[in-house]
Amino acid sequence: MNKSTTKLIQYALAASVLLPLFYVNFLMYMSGNILMAMGMLGLLVLGIFIYASHKGYVYRYLFPGLLGFLIFVIFPLIYTFWISFHKYDARNLLTKERVEQILLSETFEPEGALGYAYKIYPGVSFNTYQLALTPKDGPATAEQLPPMFLSPEFSLPLVDDPQILDLSLSPTPPSGEALTLGEITRGKLHVMLRGLKLKLPDQQIVALSSLREFSTQKPVWEKTKDGGFKNLQDGTLIHAQSNSGFFETEDGERVGVGFRTWAGGENYSRIINDEQIKQPFVRIFFWTFAFAFLSMLTTFALGMFLAVLLEWEGLKARTLYRTLLIFPYAVPAFLSILTFQGMFNQEFGAVNEFLGALFHITPEWNTNPWLAKTMILIVNLWLGYPYMMIICTGNLQSISKSIYEASAIDGSTPWANFKRLTLPLVLPPMIPVLIASFAFNFNNFNLIFLLTGGSPKMVGGAGIAGETDILVTYTFNLAFKNSGADYGLASAIATILFVIVGILAWLNLKKTQGSAS
Amino acid sequence: MNSGSKRLTRKLLAHAFLILFIMMIMTPFLTVIASSFSRGNFAPSKLIPTEISLNHWKYVLGIPYDEVVNVTTGETRTLKADVVPIRWFWNSIKISIIASGGILLLSGTCAYAFARMKFAFKNQTMTGLLILQMFPMVLALVAFYTILEFIGQFAPRMGLNTHAGLTLIYLGGVSIYIWMIKGYFETISTSIEESARIDGASPFQAFILILLPMSAPIFAVVFILSFISYMSEYPVASVVLQTGDQWTLAVGANSFLYEQQKLWGRFSALAVLSGIPITVLFIICQRFLVSGLTAGGVKE
Repeated sequence: MNKSTTKLIQYALAASVLLPLFYVNFLMYMSGNILMAMGMLGLLVLGIFIYASHKGYVYRYLFPGLLGFLIFVIFPLIYTFWISFHKYDARNLLTKERVEQILLSETFEPEGALGYAYKIYPGVSFNTYQLALTPKDGPATAEQLPPMFLSPEFSLPLVDDPQILDLSLSPTPPSGEALTLGEITRGKLHVMLRGLKLKLPDQQIVALSSLREFSTQKPVWEKTKDGGFKNLQDGTLIHAQSNSGFFETEDGERVGVGFRTWAGGENYSRIINDEQIKQPFVRIFFWTFAFAFLSMLTTFALGMFLAVLLEWEGLKARTLYRTLLIFPYAVPAFLSILTFQGMFNQEFGAVNEFLGALFHITPEWNTNPWLAKTMILIVNLWLGYPYMMIICTGNLQSISKSIYEASAIDGSTPWANFKRLTLPLVLPPMIPVLIASFAFNFNNFNLIFLLTGGSPKMVGGAGIAGETDILVTYTFNLAFKNSGADYGLASAIATILFVIVGILAWLNLKKTQGSAS
Repeated sequence: MNSGSKRLTRKLLAHAFLILFIMMIMTPFLTVIASSFSRGNFAPSKLIPTEISLNHWKYVLGIPYDEVVNVTTGETRTLKADVVPIRWFWNSIKISIIASGGILLLSGTCAYAFARMKFAFKNQTMTGLLILQMFPMVLALVAFYTILEFIGQFAPRMGLNTHAGLTLIYLGGVSIYIWMIKGYFETISTSIEESARIDGASPFQAFILILLPMSAPIFAVVFILSFISYMSEYPVASVVLQTGDQWTLAVGANSFLYEQQKLWGRFSALAVLSGIPITVLFIICQRFLVSGLTAGGVKE
């Protein structure tokens, strides 16, 4: 292959990657996301520069990885931080522009509205339909048929709510049979048609006014010069209130749905001042620390103990034991956690079946907060000790055997050996691992979410906080449990969490670099 | 008691302890296997099923079977899963392999630049990568949702409820792996690469032909670790993937355990079926992993 064909292939490859990207960029621009389109264009140009110019050589290696990191780590972080300063929850969900659109699309039937009878025809593909409208009191003599207006094909349920379609004048009805009234009501089509607004050729809007009829409509709201809206039916004026995130009348009465709005540090001050949030937050905060610390401690202690035991050269079948002991680490954790959820079921589970048969006790793992917490620590010990054991074994094997021989002459007990020789030697290189374990458990979402889901419910936790929740599951529930959807508050807590774990990671980095040098 | 018999008692005690301990560790596996073969959907509670039935296995594998609806008349109906659960396993494998491959590509090239090249703010970027990655993915879900919704407007195949979209999000988690690979690169002497450079090789050729083959073990470790962490990932997948046919194993397995009705039998059959290959893979790769794990890194 000569040089020019190689070049040609290179250009062809570059074009096949770049052209679709530029096309998407163009689509983005056309749909009105100017800022995003500019950003993407900037990244594209930067990418071309890096791969075309020799000046950007180093960045050819960094660009793809760092780009992914930028979009899926740094951007979400900034976005979350930004949301944490907003009122953004189930009541104030939409953007202000969207709420204004909804207001402007609201219509009412004015006096003297014209009625239109409608027929609905099934469209070409599944669940698509076409409407045909005829005026009810138009010129209907024998010679002159009333005009007929046809809609384009649309799908039901509607893609957008409200959805606006243009009507066009047509001499003939669509092909096929119109649906009967029975078919319309049985399919609940008349309910789905409610969000539909049809625009006549003369720009008049018609909408469904009864089961059998469409009628001309007028918009309820008109935009005023000062950015508010005027009700054309009764003349009320409403204005956007950035405090409440609602459009309000002069008397402070809320109209329509709320919108997202700047809240300053309110979400953060709610954590400190609002008793409904502060109380569960503080308790969950301390339990998170206790859980992460105890998990780290217990897994380390058991892992260390087993590692030391298996280093005992006189013991037979050590490799077999070691392989079997690693088992809990080899199984995907979420499967084990869900299995434990069943085994610790206080009425039917294996654990209580066993304890009941042997000791005649059936602890309430699911309803007693302290026992639930104990259960979590037991399960996490089961999941976590093999990792500690593996790492301790690695460290133990690097200790010279001769120091034990010297102490054997002194006649030391194994425990004294461990305390005076092994632990001081193994602990320093373990510190970064211990910090990492703490940080990992601090945000161990899967364990809590899949094992208890935070239950039992915390008294005074507004139905969202649970006794076994840690900060990360509590935050998830605040944002995603149906009753919650408080994205602003969840983002504020997420930001606090990030600061805590970020500091831990930084400390760990310093420790690792310190021990390496 | 002399020291010889004291040693023997200690040894016996150690063996007894280890055997008991391992038996205790293994019970969850045994109860799940038993529960997958039991009749009815009861929580894992027995080591040996009282009534053996293959229905849960048939359900998971998508084989139609008859279930008694009315006990008195003995009336039955044929049951078959709408979405065959084994499909979730396949989805998970597919996503995890593609995402792990992507991670290797992205983090390998980045690590090469960090280990072998000079550029402005190199150390700061490395530190920044590690600390910013500490932001838990779960809490960025609102942002992920917004990003995918936005992408979906222009490229529906990469938006919400698609495997490509989920994979894209997973590809963001490169920084731990960049650190691991960079650490390994730094243990390899630069002398061979330098002599290749003198012979006229470009930095890219030195990377592909010399450094990569010597770093195969660390790439294996990174692949396995990321594969396992993506197989286990629950929260992001549960929000991004909305319909049953798109679910991953973690989302699907948890879907059997609703608050109101926990289908332990079906869950158990699925857990055994999908847990065994992953476990076997892990045990085989264990030797590789031990060296990688001691370099630092936590299983998720």
